[in-house]
Amino acid sequence: MSNRMVTVEGLGKRYKLGGPTGFDPRARMSENLKRITGGKREDFWAVRDVSFTLDRGEAVGIIGRNGAGKSTLLKMLSRITVPTEGRFTIDGHVSSLLEVGTGFHPELSGRENIFLNGTILGMRRAEVRRKYDEIVDFSGVQKFIDTPVKHYSSGQKVRLAFAVAAHLEPEVMIIDEVLAVGDVEFQRKCLGKMKDVANSGRTILFVSHNMSAINSLCSRCVLLDAGRVEAMGEPGAITSQYLNKNNDELTGEKDLSSSPISSDGAGRITHLRWTNTNGKVIDHAQVTQAFDLEVDFEIAERGYKPQPVALVYNSKGEQAFMTFPGEGNHPTEPGRYRASLHFPANLFNEDTYYVSFWFCTWLPHKVHLVLENAISIQVLDDLESPTRAPSYATVTGMLRPKFQWDIAQL
Amino acid sequence: MRITVDAKHWKVLPDLRELFAHRDLFLTLAIRDLKVRYAQTVLGLAWAVVQPLATLIIMSLIFGRAVQVETGNVPYPLFAIVGISAWSYFAFVLKESGGSIIGAQEIVRKIYFPRLIIPLSKAAVGLMDLLVALLMMIALFVWYGVSPSAHLIFAPLYLVLIIVVALGTGIWISALSIRFRDLQHVVPFMIQFGLFITPIAYPASKITASVPHWVQVMYFLNPMAGVVEGWRWSILGLGDPGGLCILSLVSGAFLFVTSFIYFRSMERVVADLV
Repeated sequence: MSNRMVTVEGLGKRYKLGGPTGFDPRARMSENLKRITGGKREDFWAVRDVSFTLDRGEAVGIIGRNGAGKSTLLKMLSRITVPTEGRFTIDGHVSSLLEVGTGFHPELSGRENIFLNGTILGMRRAEVRRKYDEIVDFSGVQKFIDTPVKHYSSGQKVRLAFAVAAHLEPEVMIIDEVLAVGDVEFQRKCLGKMKDVANSGRTILFVSHNMSAINSLCSRCVLLDAGRVEAMGEPGAITSQYLNKNNDELTGEKDLSSSPISSDGAGRITHLRWTNTNGKVIDHAQVTQAFDLEVDFEIAERGYKPQPVALVYNSKGEQAFMTFPGEGNHPTEPGRYRASLHFPANLFNEDTYYVSFWFCTWLPHKVHLVLENAISIQVLDDLESPTRAPSYATVTGMLRPKFQWDIAQL
Repeated sequence: MRITVDAKHWKVLPDLRELFAHRDLFLTLAIRDLKVRYAQTVLGLAWAVVQPLATLIIMSLIFGRAVQVETGNVPYPLFAIVGISAWSYFAFVLKESGGSIIGAQEIVRKIYFPRLIIPLSKAAVGLMDLLVALLMMIALFVWYGVSPSAHLIFAPLYLVLIIVVALGTGIWISALSIRFRDLQHVVPFMIQFGLFITPIAYPASKITASVPHWVQVMYFLNPMAGVVEGWRWSILGLGDPGGLCILSLVSGAFLFVTSFIYFRSMERVVADLV
């Protein structure tokens, strides 16, 4: 028997824009279209000419920036959407987790939702019944299992959903970013479960933005760019190729110079960029590196004393902190200014951090502008990082400051 | 199990084997809908009785008492409940199956399974209401001390036909509304309008006796017209299931077969459209 589990040949998916009524092109797609085709053509190839194969027990990671076609590719392989050209063959039962908790019904209890979700994901009812206790155990919501899911916290919902998904036993598993959910403790549980799945000889296709998850889980990695395979090979090499690619479409820099002055006339923020200590624009940094966030802004009207306020969030949307120049440390005259915010080395943990801005006057307090998720940076973990645990276990927490420890014999 | 997807090859008819393989999902979805339907309502399951009962009372007052529709020696409420049982199931499937794909778009966008499971499971939920209406019918038979007609052995056949016509229409609407959301607004109107142009509150002979032949043909192109007439004939022995009623059976069968073909063609693009 052949060990070939998945064969993909010349797969492509074309979206037509401005097509028949009812077509609902997502905003990002039309943006892509305009960028790629200059707004003229009506066709947009989300994926084109993709070929690869997977053998039994292989775990393949798929990476690429937003809009590169990762999700469209997975959607085709999980048969949610039909390819426009090419073909693929999968030997064996497939389960796809494009989002955990699909089909959960808020009025039904946890118990009923386990059956509902399990069968939607392709399990037989008897199979769900057999694994029921295990699923409940894994989810950690035993106490609420007969409560309608609408009374669950979002964390509990995700736990329950992943618990169901983790007990599927497909030969080929297609996963899109499930690691982005839940608290750190639960994420580690999930990652462990996925490693078990990979080691048990099942074949995995895994899309993620989490490079360390790709590196630790996958045996091979595919880099997609503009719908095509740009590189394929050993995960370490491919992920660093992806991260090092000098690509101005990553959010290392954001030009807002065409944005209007705030409606109250106070001013505006015109430019944001991350720079390393040499002044070079960057979109990622190591945990052990210091880097700066430069904010160019304009004060337009005398009378207001606006200053930028940075609110920093981790990738789960939890706020890490808020920082601002403070009173008496900023210009008040109209003009253009550049604020540099210096982040020390060994402050951030391994994660993607998002920065939102307020442009505001403190006294009297007035917020002139709000920029949600204005810019982001990916902070990577150096294997030799001094704050890393010696066993290479995940260091948990929203931040990872390096503190001084003194230990003396008593 | 081997799955091959090729952009160049697409089956025109649904894959029945695949459909059967997903019977557990069908069952779970139907159970879910039954459970959710009366969750957090004060009357709960009683609603399944209250709705047809209210329709029956209103109809008996208006058409039985006030208008005095001629129903031979069959008491009017008994005459009406036979029509109501068929029509309320048809209306339920039209509404629930018709809007089911749009309603399930969250799932459709994320998980693959034969989409036909969705409208089919909705139609299965309606069988519960049909059962309640049939029980009410039996109760009325007992109440009035009337015995059913000798054609009763044909009743199961017409029951199947009611389901077939309802499914055909419901599946058509569910597939059409993927592209034309307007249908969501048309369905309530269709149900209201259909109640008048189907022999529910009155016998079809009222129509055949009073309008020219071409209007009769139009009337019986409505598949429910002939099926309801036949259903009533099999239970009460009233009316004539032959003649133009055959036209309804033909249009119903046509609707049923084409609904699967059209649904299949929409299945191809549904995830891109919803």
